[in-house]
Formats: sequence, structure tokens, C-alpha cells
Amino acid sequence: MSDKNKMSVAEILAAARAEKAGAAKPTSDANSADGPSPVPAASDAHGSPGAESASETAPPETAPPESGPAKPIGPAPAAMPRASMSVAEMLAAARAGKKAEAGPSGSAAAKRAEPKGAPNAAAKAQAETGTPAKKPPAKSPSPGTATPGTATPDTTSILAAARQAAKPGPISKAQAAALGRPVAPAKPAGPPPMPERPAHLRPRERAPEPSRRSFFASFAGVLFGSSLAVGFSSLFVTHLLWALGFARFMFPNILTEPPTIFKVGFPSDYGPGQVETKYVAQFGVWVVRSEYNGQTSIYALRTVCTHLGCTPNWLEGEQKFKCPCHGSGFYKDGINFEGPAPRPLERYAVRVADDGQIEVDKSRKFNEEMGQWKDPACYIPV
Amino acid sequence: MHGHNEAEFLKEVAGFLGVYYLALAAMNMTAALYVWKSGKALRIVKLGGTAATTAHLWLLLGLVFLLMAPLGFSGDAATMRLVSVPESFREIINVAMGPMVYTVGSVVGLVVLFVLRRFFVKPTVAWIGLNASLLLMGLSMTDPDFADIVRKADNVPIVGLIFMLGFFTWLGAYRAIENDDRAKRGLPPVEAEQREKVLVWPDLVYIELICMVFLTAFLLVWAIVLKAPLEEPASAVKTPNPSKAPWYFLGLQEMLVYYDPWMAGVVLPSLIIVGLAAIPYLDFNKKGNGYYTIDERKFAYVMFQFGFLLLWVTLIVMGTFLRGPNWNFFGPYETWDPHKVEALNNVDLSEFFWIRWLHMPRPKAPDGAGILRTLAMIVYRESPGIVLLVGYLAIVPHALVLGSRFFRDLFARMGFLRYMVLANLLLMMMLLPIKMICRWGFNLKYFVAIPEYMLNF
Repeated sequence: MSDKNKMSVAEILAAARAEKAGAAKPTSDANSADGPSPVPAASDAHGSPGAESASETAPPETAPPESGPAKPIGPAPAAMPRASMSVAEMLAAARAGKKAEAGPSGSAAAKRAEPKGAPNAAAKAQAETGTPAKKPPAKSPSPGTATPGTATPDTTSILAAARQAAKPGPISKAQAAALGRPVAPAKPAGPPPMPERPAHLRPRERAPEPSRRSFFASFAGVLFGSSLAVGFSSLFVTHLLWALGFARFMFPNILTEPPTIFKVGFPSDYGPGQVETKYVAQFGVWVVRSEYNGQTSIYALRTVCTHLGCTPNWLEGEQKFKCPCHGSGFYKDGINFEGPAPRPLERYAVRVADDGQIEVDKSRKFNEEMGQWKDPACYIPV
Repeated sequence: MHGHNEAEFLKEVAGFLGVYYLALAAMNMTAALYVWKSGKALRIVKLGGTAATTAHLWLLLGLVFLLMAPLGFSGDAATMRLVSVPESFREIINVAMGPMVYTVGSVVGLVVLFVLRRFFVKPTVAWIGLNASLLLMGLSMTDPDFADIVRKADNVPIVGLIFMLGFFTWLGAYRAIENDDRAKRGLPPVEAEQREKVLVWPDLVYIELICMVFLTAFLLVWAIVLKAPLEEPASAVKTPNPSKAPWYFLGLQEMLVYYDPWMAGVVLPSLIIVGLAAIPYLDFNKKGNGYYTIDERKFAYVMFQFGFLLLWVTLIVMGTFLRGPNWNFFGPYETWDPHKVEALNNVDLSEFFWIRWLHMPRPKAPDGAGILRTLAMIVYRESPGIVLLVGYLAIVPHALVLGSRFFRDLFARMGFLRYMVLANLLLMMMLLPIKMICRWGFNLKYFVAIPEYMLNF
């Protein structure tokens, strides 16, 4: 069923041929005409793509049969008990039977085949003659072979059975007369209306080339044509602005991170015991020249208190780093001596760069309590 | 301070002080009128034919405040000195005041208030106490340093907190003692007799509505008069000095001075919450339900007031008014000098133990030792603190049971597990003042200090 909507060229041709053949040799379809042929046709449509697309072309009055295939009653109504037919199928069967009865046998069959059965018949014909693009025959038994053995029921009785929802199946006219049931008078049968051409066969209408003015007019109409359009337009605009604002939010208006490796002047710039605080604001580093364990060296201390992360202040008068948050104090060499700070300040890596300047690398830290201050990477001996 | 001289400062305070004394006068005169009209005046002394009552006393006090008001309004240095705390008194207070004096003094003060509660809850005594504290505050406002701290927009609520807390604690104690006295005479508590009921609508809802309107108006005025203190933009490398937590967290910040952040910031606050949540499972005393009482649940009352008033509120007050730049302690009349030198050298217990008492270096794993050996040496190094701490938490509960009949009863009532939970919660609570006193008194930093693994206690 991959190709539901379109008939292949071969099928269309086959349909045309069958139509012609039906008109020329009406009797060829006779045995299917007096059987419950439309129902199998409908169920056939269920099975084969060509037939289904053909059934879509059926006129509105014959819509009921189309709903039949949707039900899973499947391929062989002839073999199944009549009671299990849906009302729609019964109606379809009744109409088809009546038409077959009303007209002369040959032309009736042709006419019946014309409105909706023609492509079906074509498809059937194809199936019987073994032309390609057909489903396996098990799924769509041909009506001609299915019907012969059964007694042909009368359409009115089918209708009556359907109306009464009676358990016993439909009976023939003769049986109805025998049982004394009323036989509905036959309706005058007019020629059925021509089906509309299927959409895919109709020539496509060309949209007129829009002028620029009409284009903008229609555009404005879509945007502001109604209160709903205005509402949706403003919703869209709001969302658009929001999305733009969000995009802007992703790029906050901040200074970018200063480099983690930077130079802080020459070792000779540092006097004995000097604590250089001018790099605190930008880099968060004190560069100190002082003694640690009896050795004079230059090192870089990280300006983060080891207690809770505030920035201590260097108090020149007291010669100590003092944290304003909880009062931790550190000596010039970074060793904690007062307050709650549990460990000394951390050092950054320093080295003498090629140009003779001190280079601080903030990506490496050295902790005294881990014994890392012995690493020569964290101080420059003077 | 802050660039303007003494005269300018006095002019600034004068308006406030004048109104302040007028308000005090009005307050006392209203009290005199109320006491007189209601016939609740107590006779103090008998002078000839007429008796001097408390009504006369409040009226006299009101007149004194009325006389002080123009002095306060004057803004003149010589006149203002009449309504100031004497300089020598301020000096004494500043020198004497320290964290130890403040905290121990608070404990002693609260104990005195509790023991003599029957005296202090008398309305007359309480009124005198209120007047005295308000007067002390007014007299101190002429001190620039004091005024600077108290008038700071951030700190005004704390001033209100002190007075409101005093009032509500007094009110609770007053009602409790009334009930306790009734219980002694075999009467039911007041609340049991006052069973009169009012309707939610309209009585309660109207009261609530009126309160809501007035409170909103009050907050609006407050927000307009006292500006929100905005500071300079935050910077990761610049910490304001002093850097203070919001007022309700100042107790926690003070706790952080004595503990590792992991301990004071996570474990102990969690323990506070867990302990509060555990109270219903630990408290088997069914008395005091629906009425005020102290005698019937003395233990619960004392423990609550100790934890709340001492370990929370006094720490907030200390953090607000007495902690200055570099988190140094400053007296109430002391200038906040960021270069105040406090000679401190805090030492871990292990250093005390190994170096000062045993005169040997602290045990240390040789360089390049394995992790397990290093760890074992660290534990060995800190063993005095670990033994002390474990002993404190494990042995003291048993010692309490053996040594005190009250705790023996508790143990019998509660069973081992519940008793141990209660005792350990209490001991953890007590550990904070113990630690504070060790810090101030002996410069002890940590009982157990394992900075290698961020474990400090």
C-alpha cells in the first residue's frame, strides 16, 4: 500500500481498457453482477492499492461502501455469515443488486460497473489475468469464484434484515413471498451521477503571479488581519525579543579573565621584606620578598584566606595579613598564627622568565601543610 | 568621625535626643496616669499624711526626662555633657570589655535574672529596668563612636531586637511565674480559667487587618527614613572591612571564628536543626502544655534560654555592635580603628601538648612515607585532642548519670539511646562556649587540627 493515492500508468490504462471492454461485452461480468459483487469489490479495494484509490473516486452517494473496507471483516463476505455484514455493506449490496436487476442484464452490469466498479473491475481483471502490481490472491478472492454456490439473497430482504437487525440472514424474493413478508417496491433507477475526477487527474490550477503590492497586503493581513493574528504576532515578537535578550544574557558585560601567567617585574625591584600589593586588584596575588625557613626568597601568595575565602588585608604596621571576616592572621611568609584559619596561605608557581622578569603562574598552587613549599617552583631564591 | 568634628556631630544627634527624651517623658507620664487611674499604684514610703506611690515616682521620672529634653535639643557641647555618660565611665567600660567579659558577663547576668526571676518580673522593677536601659542608651548617644554603630541603618533593627526580646522574655516569665504561684496554691493556670472565646470573624480578622495596615505603614516610613545601605560593587579581591553577615547570621559568623568552616558552617547548623526536630522525641514532660510555666519544666526552659538568648542573641549583639575592622573586638565607646593591634598567637592543642608540655617536636612522618603511615602519624600527633573529644562526648554523659540525681532520673525515664542523644546534643551545644573560652583564655585554636584533610575541630 505504499502508493495509495496514485495509480500507476499501467493501472490507469487497464482501467480504461476494462471500461471499454465492459461497454462492449457486458456479459463478461455477468456472474459477478448477480452475485454480491460490490462488497467483494469493496473488500478488494481494501487489499489492492489500485482498487482502493479507485474506490476513493466513488461519488458521494456511494460513500457507504467505502466505510466498509475500514472494518476488519476482511476479504471474503461470500464465505462469511451474512449477519456479520455491517449496515453500510448491506446497503451497498442492496443498491448494487437493485441496479443490476433494474436495467437489462448486460447494460446494467456495465452501468453498475461504471460509477464505481469500473476501476475495480479493471483491477480484478488484472488480478485474474495475472498482470503485475497485485496483491496475493489469498487476500482478495475474486468475486466470480467466490459466489456461485451460495443462494443469491434479495436486496430488499438484506435491507429488511439490516433494519430489523435480525439474526436470520437475508432471503430471496421468492423466499420472502413464501414467508409472507412485504416486498419493497423497486425504486425507479436513474442513471447514477458521474463521479468527480480524482484530484490527481485534474489539471492543476496555476496560482496567479502575485504582485508586490498584493503580496505585502496579504502579508499584512496575515500579521494584523484579526485580533487573533495580532495576538499571535505580538506573542511571536515577544518571544523573539525574549530569545534575543537571552542570547545577550549569555554574553554578560564583564571583564574577561586576566591571564593566569603574568610578569611582575624584575627580582631586583623587590627590596628586603617588601610585600607588593599592587597586583592584588587585578591578579589576586601578593609578591613578597621575605624569609622562610631561614632562606630569603621571592614568592607569590594567593590572596584568599584559607578559612572561608575572604581577601585579607596586608597591614604594614603590624607586618601581617589580616582577614576582615573572621579575624584570621598570617605572617609575612603566609603562615597562619591567629584566628580560625587552619592552614597557611597558598603559594603560586613563580620562575624567572627569559627576559629576567618574575613570571607568576596561577594555575599551580603549593600548600605548606602538604610540604609543597619545598618545591623550587614556588620561590625564587635571592 | 568620618570627617566631621565633635560640634557637628552633636548638632546631628541633638534633634534625635530631644525627641527621644520627650518620648521617654511621655511614656513615664502615661504610665503614671495609668497606674493612678487603675489603682494599681504601690505605696513606696509614707510621708506624713500622704503616701508616695509608684504613680508619683513615674510622674517624677517623666518630669526629669522633660527637663532633659531641652538639654538634648541644645546641641551645645557643654550642655550636652550634662546628658552624657561620663568620660571616665566610658574608658572603664572600653578597657574592661572584651569577649570574655562580655560572654561570661552575659551568662552571669542571665543566671542572676533567672534565679531572682520572682523579683525581676515585678512590673515596677521591670519598668525601672526599662527606664534605666533607655536612659543609658540616651546618655551614650552623645558618644560619637557609640552613636555611629547604633545609628547605622543596618544595626537599628538590632537595637529594636534587644528591647523587644527583653520585653517578650519578661512577659513570658511574668505569666509563667503567675501560673507557678497559682500552682503552689493549688489553683489551675490562668489560661485554664480564661476560656472565653471570641469569633474569628469579625474579631480576629479585624485585629489582623488593622495590624497589617499599621505594620505596612510603619515599614513604609522605615524604608523612607532609613535608607538601605548600598555599598560599592562587589569584587572578588576586595572584602569590606569589617565584612559582616546579615544580622540573623551573625551568630553563625561568630561561631565561624572558633571553628573550621566545614564545622561551623555545615555540621553545627545541621545539628541545631536536627536537635530542634528531635525535641518532641526527647521531651517526655507533658506539663506546660497550653500555658506558661517555668517551675514545671525548668530544664527545658533553661536549656532553651541558654541556646537562644546566650548562644544566638548575645552573639548577634556582639557581632553587630562589638566586632569591628579585622573582626577585632571593640568596646561600645571605642573607635573602630582598623589598625588596632591584638597580640594573638593561636595554637593547636597538639602543639600545646607535644611542644610546650612534653618539650619535643610534634610527631611527623618522614618525607616520602606512605599514605597510611602519614595518616597514622597524623592521628598520633592529634591523639590528645581526639582522646579529649571522644572522652567528652562518650564519658561525660555517663559521669552525669553517676554524679547527678537529675540526670539519673532522666536516664531512667528515657533509656540509653534517647538519653545519649539528648546528652550529646547538650554537650555539642556546650562545646561552643567552652571553645570560645579556650580561645580567649588560652589562645587555643583547635582541639583536633588535621589541615591535611580539612578536619579541624
